[in-house]
Amino acid sequence: MSTSSFEMHEFIETAHAFAAKSVASIFDGEHADGKLDKIDDVLSTAFSIGLAASPDPNQPGYDYGIWGAALSETGLAPSTLMLSAVAEVCGGVALNLHVQGLASQVIHMSGRQLTSPPVRVAPAIQEEFGLPGWGTLNVPSVDAPARVMSEAKPVKGGYVIDGVKPFMYAMPGAESAVVFCRVDENWGCFLIPLTSAGLKTEAVGVRTGLRASYLTHLTLKGVQIPLEARLDDGDALPLLIRSLSLHWLGLAAIGAGIARGAVKAARKYASERYQGGTMLENHPVIRMLIAGAESNMEAAGALAARAGDMHLDTPEIMRASAIARLTGLQLSTEAVTDSLQVFGGYGYMEDYGMEKRLRDVTVLKSMAGTPQYLKQFIFESGEVRS
Amino acid sequence: MKPADQTTRERQATSIIPGMGPEQTARTTKIRADIHETIEADPTLKKRIAKLAMPGASRDLNFFGKLLVDCGERTIWERDTATLPWGCRYWRRKARDFARQYIRPDALAADLDPHNYDPKPILSAAAKAGFQTAMMPFPIGTAEPFAYLRAAVMQPAVIAEEFATECGGIGLLLLAHHLGCAPIMLSGHIPSMVRHLVPLYQRLKKGAPETMAFAITEPGAGSDVEETEGGAQAHLVTTAKRAKGGFILNGRKCFISGGGYAQKVTLYAKLDGEGIESWTCFIVDKNMPGFSVGRLEHKMGQRASDAAELILEDVFVPKENAVGKLRSGWANNRNVLNYSRPCVGAMALGHGRGAFERALEFCRRTYLGPKRLIDYQDIQYTLSDMAMSLWSARAMIWHSCAQLLRCNQAASATAKVIASDTAFKVCNQAIEIMGDHGYVHANSVERLWRDSRLTQIYEGTNQINRLSLIEFLWEAEFNK
Repeated sequence: MSTSSFEMHEFIETAHAFAAKSVASIFDGEHADGKLDKIDDVLSTAFSIGLAASPDPNQPGYDYGIWGAALSETGLAPSTLMLSAVAEVCGGVALNLHVQGLASQVIHMSGRQLTSPPVRVAPAIQEEFGLPGWGTLNVPSVDAPARVMSEAKPVKGGYVIDGVKPFMYAMPGAESAVVFCRVDENWGCFLIPLTSAGLKTEAVGVRTGLRASYLTHLTLKGVQIPLEARLDDGDALPLLIRSLSLHWLGLAAIGAGIARGAVKAARKYASERYQGGTMLENHPVIRMLIAGAESNMEAAGALAARAGDMHLDTPEIMRASAIARLTGLQLSTEAVTDSLQVFGGYGYMEDYGMEKRLRDVTVLKSMAGTPQYLKQFIFESGEVRS
Repeated sequence: MKPADQTTRERQATSIIPGMGPEQTARTTKIRADIHETIEADPTLKKRIAKLAMPGASRDLNFFGKLLVDCGERTIWERDTATLPWGCRYWRRKARDFARQYIRPDALAADLDPHNYDPKPILSAAAKAGFQTAMMPFPIGTAEPFAYLRAAVMQPAVIAEEFATECGGIGLLLLAHHLGCAPIMLSGHIPSMVRHLVPLYQRLKKGAPETMAFAITEPGAGSDVEETEGGAQAHLVTTAKRAKGGFILNGRKCFISGGGYAQKVTLYAKLDGEGIESWTCFIVDKNMPGFSVGRLEHKMGQRASDAAELILEDVFVPKENAVGKLRSGWANNRNVLNYSRPCVGAMALGHGRGAFERALEFCRRTYLGPKRLIDYQDIQYTLSDMAMSLWSARAMIWHSCAQLLRCNQAASATAKVIASDTAFKVCNQAIEIMGDHGYVHANSVERLWRDSRLTQIYEGTNQINRLSLIEFLWEAEFNK
C-alpha cells in the first residue's frame, strides 16, 4: 500500500529540484509574489516532469503526480512530502499542484473513462456558507447546520445545475471543474467545462496571499450537462469524503513546507546579521525564537505525516486530516511569524520573502473551514470513531 | 477560464460577497420570519426569557439592590469613553468621527496603491481639526490642558486608536508626525520649542499639510538603538562633525516612518570620534543641501505611510538646530520611546478593534442555515474572546498613559507588547472566523491584520520591549 523509501526519496528529490530551479526563478525581481506571468511556464514544467497529476493518461504525472491515479498504490505520504518541498519556495505554486491533483483524483476514483479528458481541472466543493457540516455531509438537503444550495436537477438526457461555488482555487488555464452539488437527497459530482453556457467565473480580486493560484467564484445558472458528465454512481459522498480528507491534508502539508522555508531563512539570516556586538544567532532571545519556530514546524510536519501514513477513505484519515489542517496549520503559522520576527524590520519588508510566507500561510489557515467548523467536525467524527 | 488580473482596483470594486445576492437575501428574509414565528409561537417562553435576563430579573431587587446593578445597554466604547477626563472624551469622539469621515473612504485605495496616494488633503484636514498639534497643550498646541496634566500622552493615544481602527497606513502617516515632534518637547529645551515647534504648530493650526519624522534606525543598528546593552555595542554610521556655526552630518537612516514625505526630521547622530554616548538630536530640514531620500521600502502593511531611507552627505546643520544639550540624545531617544510606546500600543489596539468590528458585522449579516453566524454559541465564544482581549489591552494602555506627566519605561513597554500581541491575535481570529472572506482585500480585515503585524516590530521589537521592562525594574523588582 505504500511507496518504498527509495521511491519516496526520488519523488521528494524531484519536487525539491523543481522548487529550486523552476519555482525559485520567478522570484528574481522586486515583486514579493514573484513574476506571476511566469507561473504558467512553471506549471508546464511541473506537468512535463510528472509532478502535476492530471485526468489525461497522456500526461507524465497521471499516475505518480501529486494525488495521482496511483494514490492507492503509493499511499499519501509521497504527495504530502512533494507539496511540502514545493511550498518551501512558494506556497502558491504548491497550492496549484494540490488543487489540480485533488480534482484529478476525484476523476480517477470515479473510474470514468473520459473520451477527451481535460488536462487542467479544479475542484469546486464549497457552498456559499463554506464547507458542508457533518450532518449536511450525510444528508445534503438538511440544515445541519446549512443545507446544500447548489443543485443538479435531472432532465431528459442529463442535468441542469444551478448554484454558486465560491472560492474555487484553480491553476491558470483550468479547463473544467469538478463540482459537488445536491441531487435530490444525495450528493452528485459533475465534471463541467468552464466554457459551458450559463457558467460564469469571477475573480475574487485582491487578496492576502497565495497569489500564484487563481481564485474565482463559480456561478452556475441553468448549466445543462449530459448524463456522462456525472462522476458518481448515484451518491458522490465517498468522492466528497476523499476530497475533503485530501484537501485538508494537502493544505497542512503546504503549511508545513512554508514553515520549513521560513525557519531555514531565519537561521540563515541569524547567522549572517551582526547585531548588538555579535551575530544575531548568539542572542539567547533569537535562539529561543528560532528553536520555538523549529519545534512548531516539526510538530506541524508530524501531524501531516501522521495523516499521510493512514489508509484512504477511512474515518481515521478524515479526522486526522482535519486535525492536521486545524492544529498543524496553526503551528505552521506560529513558526512563520516567529521566523519573521528574527528579521526585525527587514522581515516586514518584501525583500527577504518572509512577509510573503506569512501572508501565504495565513490564507491557508483561513481556507477550507473555520476553526469552529473544524472543531465541530473533529468532535462529530470522533463520536463515530468510538 | 481567463487568468484573473489580481491587482486591478476594478476587480476589487466588482468582487462579490457570496451570500449577499438577491436570491440569498430573499431566502434569509424567510428564515428570519421562521425564527420569529418560533419564538412568537410560545409567548410563555418569550416572557420567561425576558424576565430571566438581568434587566428583568433586577426588578425583584429592593431599591438599593437595583442601584447596584448595571443594566445599561451601552457599548464597550461608550463605557470606556465615559471613564475618561473631559478632554480625552472630546478627542476620542472627534477622532472617531474624523476617522470615519476622512480615513475610511481612502483606506483601501491608499493600501493598494500607496505611491499614487496624495496625503496632503488628509494631513491638511487633520491639522485644521487640531489632531496634528495634540501633543502639546493649549495655547501652544490643541491638547486640553487639564487632561494633559493628568496624563500627557492619553489624548494622542485615544486619537491613535480611532485612526488605526480605520487604516494603519493613514493612521501612521498622521501619527508619526507626533513622534517627530516629541524629541523637541521632551528635550525640555525651551529655545528649541520656541524656535521650531511653536512656528510649526501655528502653521499646522491653519491647515498646513506638514509633518515631522523621527530618525534613529540605521542600516546596521535597528533594535540596538532601542535598548541599553545593544546601544552600547551598536554599529552606528551617522556622525556629526563640528563646523563653523554648526555641524556637518554624514550617514544614513533607514525604515523612517513618514521620512519620505516629512518636511523636517529629528535625527540622531554621534559626535565625530565618539560613541553612542555622544548621540545628539538635530532638526534636519529636507531642503538642506546634501540631504536626500533614498529607497522607499515595500512593506507588507501600513502602506499609506512610507518607510524611507534618509541619506546625509555633508549636510550642514546650524547649531540652533541641535535639540537640547550636546550628548543628550541617547536619553532623549529613550524617553521618546517611553512616550511613544503607549501610542503604538493604541494603534495596534485600533487595528485589532477594526478587524473585530468588521468580523462582527460579517457575523451579523451572514447566515449559516437558519441562523445568523452570530447566533451560534461557538461564534459568540470567539467574538467574546476577541472583545475581552481588546478590552484588557486598552486597560493596560490607558494605565500606562496615566503616569502623570511622565511615562515609565516598564509600563510603556508592557502596553506596547500586550496591545500588539493582542491585536495580531485578534486580527487572526477575525480572518479565521470569516473564513475565505477574511483574506479578501475588499473586506479590510486582512489589511488590518497586515497593519497589526508591524506593531510587534517597530518602536523596538516585542523582544526588546520585554528586556526594557527587566532593565527598568531590575533593582526594584527582580534583583533583590
